[in-house]
Amino acid sequence: MTDPQFIRNFSIIAHIDHGKSTLCDQLLLKTGAISERDFRNQVLDSMDLERERGITIRMHPVTVYHEYKGKTYELNLVDTPGHVDFGYEVSRSLAACEGAVLLVDATQGVQAQTVANAYLAIEHDLTIVPVLNKIDMAIARPEAVAEEMDSALGIKADEILHASGKTGQGVEEVLAAVIDRVPAPSGDVNAPLKALVYNSHFDSYKGVVVYVRVKEGTLRKGQRIKLMRGGNEYEVADIGQFRPAPTSCSQLVVGQVGYFMAQIKNIADVHIGDTVTDALNPTAEALPGYKEPKPMVFSGLYPTNNNDFETLREELAKLRLNDSSFVYQPEVSEGLGFGFRCGFLGMLHREIIQQRLERDCDLDLVQTAPNVTYEILTRRGETLLIDNPQKVPDAGQIEEFREPIVRINFLIPAENIGDLMTLCHERRAVYVRTEYLSQSRVILVFEMPLAEIIYDLYDKLKSVTHGYGTMDYEVIGFRPADLVRLDVLVHHKRVDALSTIVHRSNAERRGRILLKKLREEIDRHLFEVVLQAAIGSRIIARENIAAIKKNVTAKCYGGDITRKRKLWAKQAAGKKRMKMIGQVELPQEAFLAVLETDE
Amino acid sequence: MHVPFCAHHCGYCDFAVVAGRDELIDRYLDALEAELARLGEAASVETLFLGGGTPTHLAPEQLDRLLATLARWLPLHPQGEFTVEANPDTLSDDKVAVLARWGVNRVSLGAQSFASATLAVLERAHQPEAIAPAVQRVRRAGLMVSLDLIFGVPGQSLQDWRADLLQALSLQPDHLSTYGLTYEKGTPLWKQRRRGQLIPLSEADELTMYELAMDLLGERGFEHYEISNFAFSGRRSRHNQVYWANHAYHGFGLGAARYVHGVRSVNTRDLDGYLRKALAGESVTRASEQLAPEERARETLVVQLRRSDGIERAAFTEQTGFVLDELIGTRLTTLVEQGFLHDDGQHVCLTRRGKCVADAVIERLL
Repeated sequence: MTDPQFIRNFSIIAHIDHGKSTLCDQLLLKTGAISERDFRNQVLDSMDLERERGITIRMHPVTVYHEYKGKTYELNLVDTPGHVDFGYEVSRSLAACEGAVLLVDATQGVQAQTVANAYLAIEHDLTIVPVLNKIDMAIARPEAVAEEMDSALGIKADEILHASGKTGQGVEEVLAAVIDRVPAPSGDVNAPLKALVYNSHFDSYKGVVVYVRVKEGTLRKGQRIKLMRGGNEYEVADIGQFRPAPTSCSQLVVGQVGYFMAQIKNIADVHIGDTVTDALNPTAEALPGYKEPKPMVFSGLYPTNNNDFETLREELAKLRLNDSSFVYQPEVSEGLGFGFRCGFLGMLHREIIQQRLERDCDLDLVQTAPNVTYEILTRRGETLLIDNPQKVPDAGQIEEFREPIVRINFLIPAENIGDLMTLCHERRAVYVRTEYLSQSRVILVFEMPLAEIIYDLYDKLKSVTHGYGTMDYEVIGFRPADLVRLDVLVHHKRVDALSTIVHRSNAERRGRILLKKLREEIDRHLFEVVLQAAIGSRIIARENIAAIKKNVTAKCYGGDITRKRKLWAKQAAGKKRMKMIGQVELPQEAFLAVLETDE
Repeated sequence: MHVPFCAHHCGYCDFAVVAGRDELIDRYLDALEAELARLGEAASVETLFLGGGTPTHLAPEQLDRLLATLARWLPLHPQGEFTVEANPDTLSDDKVAVLARWGVNRVSLGAQSFASATLAVLERAHQPEAIAPAVQRVRRAGLMVSLDLIFGVPGQSLQDWRADLLQALSLQPDHLSTYGLTYEKGTPLWKQRRRGQLIPLSEADELTMYELAMDLLGERGFEHYEISNFAFSGRRSRHNQVYWANHAYHGFGLGAARYVHGVRSVNTRDLDGYLRKALAGESVTRASEQLAPEERARETLVVQLRRSDGIERAAFTEQTGFVLDELIGTRLTTLVEQGFLHDDGQHVCLTRRGKCVADAVIERLL
């Protein structure tokens, strides 16, 4: 049995591109978990998409052994994702650990997310091991970045380690600091089993694989266990740790991190944050767990070809198996036919899911513009949750229209404060405060509607700060606002999939921009196509697409027929991929015109 | 029958043509003869069309030899139609005499415009003054005359186009073709447009010009029997109507296309390759395709729609094996309601509005 005093559980938290995965690989190499020959970049990111984007989405715990001062330590590294959409996954990882390596790029300095994740770790009472990475680079500026860490997080320069994931410099010291500084897990080994479920995934052969951190007692193969939330009981079929390949063992004791399988068929039966206990000798009290993330961004996904509806349903179900934060339910749109309303954690999450469907499942999808969840208090006193603009009741029935508000932190060069203020002002943001990290770098805090963030705020931030700005946000609640549903009529027919919820003061501008964009996307027809934007029955903007006046092949003789036929057939095939709204053909791009916010 | 030789390559032309290689004409005639010889035996034909290029660019003796070869391998039916394309400045009296002697009964004259400025933009070599005498020479020899005109040329005004039409009419042609200028990919004119060196006419102006041609020629008794073709009654091009019926035809020479036994094929457009292969007795076909029955029916549908007679339901079914209404369904009704097609129960044809946007209509029927 492994003595808990020789176990250390830790995460690495870092901003995207600060070299987390590279450092993880170095840790595996230094501890002999992988051979020099197997050493390749980013072993822990198993999905192609993750590797392509250089970000980690799904956590992979990994167990390594390290000799230190004559003793062998078991180090459990729980990797964390590095994007704002997946902030909740960071909390999951942290709940399984006693410490966190806070990795900061010595060339780029502290970023908004570094601060957010560091605070998250501090809230979880984790011991922070600060590390400056990429120290080997000529443009590294360790002193300046150390000062920023002091201003932002109160971390003193003498606590900070220097390392390079690329060369391996300082990696031994990081391992030593983890062992020296991170406390060993506590907990009574003789108490009844109490283990935290911090993740799970579905394996088509083995069923649900549950990731746990044992807090008290021992989890054994063959043990009769109970998932406390649902009360379901199972027999543990297999137990193991990732070293980094899944490796079976006979038990997991207090302080250990690993996985088990128990013939659980349905991933919905496994709740993240749940407590696993012994069915015959249950613990009195479950762990506090933590709240599951709620999807905040919704959009409709429709198969271009209506025959693919069932295939899409199957593929969504498969995705859901490994991603409980993703939700979907069938919906019908007049314009688009049968599809699904899907909920995502954020825009990146949405994009990743769409790409998986299109790439891995070979489905052509029409995606409607994303929207956030709204709350509506009706005159009759009901509170409705609105995840689809089509469901907004008539204005007369609405007592109060509320939208989700986030607190957002920007970490930007001080010289861009003015531009960012302007940008945020346009987005209906309320200024909260400014904190200077140094003379040249500053944190600006605002409260603003989530709806103003999801489209393109990140891109705009990058643009006004020349790439140097970063942001992080969390939803803090709902607030009333003067919101309206903006409808689009294509040739006098309302297209439900083009409706959006906007602030009244923006409605006219948004309507005009939207119609202009639609005019670019929709081909000319044999008749003049009228585009209108409306609030209720009031038309607030209008555009016309002129009819085709002359379009005729002048010469069609013997030698021309093949070429012309192919050309006409190609054009006709292009039309088949479009969605018909009355007599008007709408290309898929038209449904994303709603995203356009620029004049 | 294709003759690729020209004195000069016009700016809009994307046919298989060569300028300045007249030394190859005799070998080309040898090669044509070799290609025809692959028929094995003479094949009687109802219509012959000698196009190019500029067939009348050949010297009278060469022209004579070419026509003799044709007469040997492709003897014309006694009531047959024999058309030759010509440029106004190539049509001397002795060449007209050669044509007449071998039974040519129509000349299609590439007038294009009577305005020097328009001819200059098109990079045509002839002068406007050459057109009338050429027409008279053909007419004196007792042949029918067709004139080709181009509209929608950069710089051309509606008045210019009206003048072109009126001048053409004053020459009393039997047949007129009016082509909207097409910027064929890769041609000098296309490159100039891409570089912004010339400004194409607006779609609205092109439409007005096309409508003017329909109005003016209609008033003068011409039948608008195909998108770009007008003729007095009984003087339509029988040869070209074969294409628009989607019936079979032969083709010989550089880049020539044929549709025989349901197979479409085209010859190589590379002159040296053509000469080498034809003279070696090899096939000069570059590509061929055979369509599935439904595709063939759809192709028939769209080419027949170019005719004022349109598609005759019974004949269509007999020719293709498909029922028109099953092939296009409710889209027909919509296009009729929108005023682009006319349907009398037996025939479906483009309306006047439909002719102006025929390609867009076709895309909706495919």
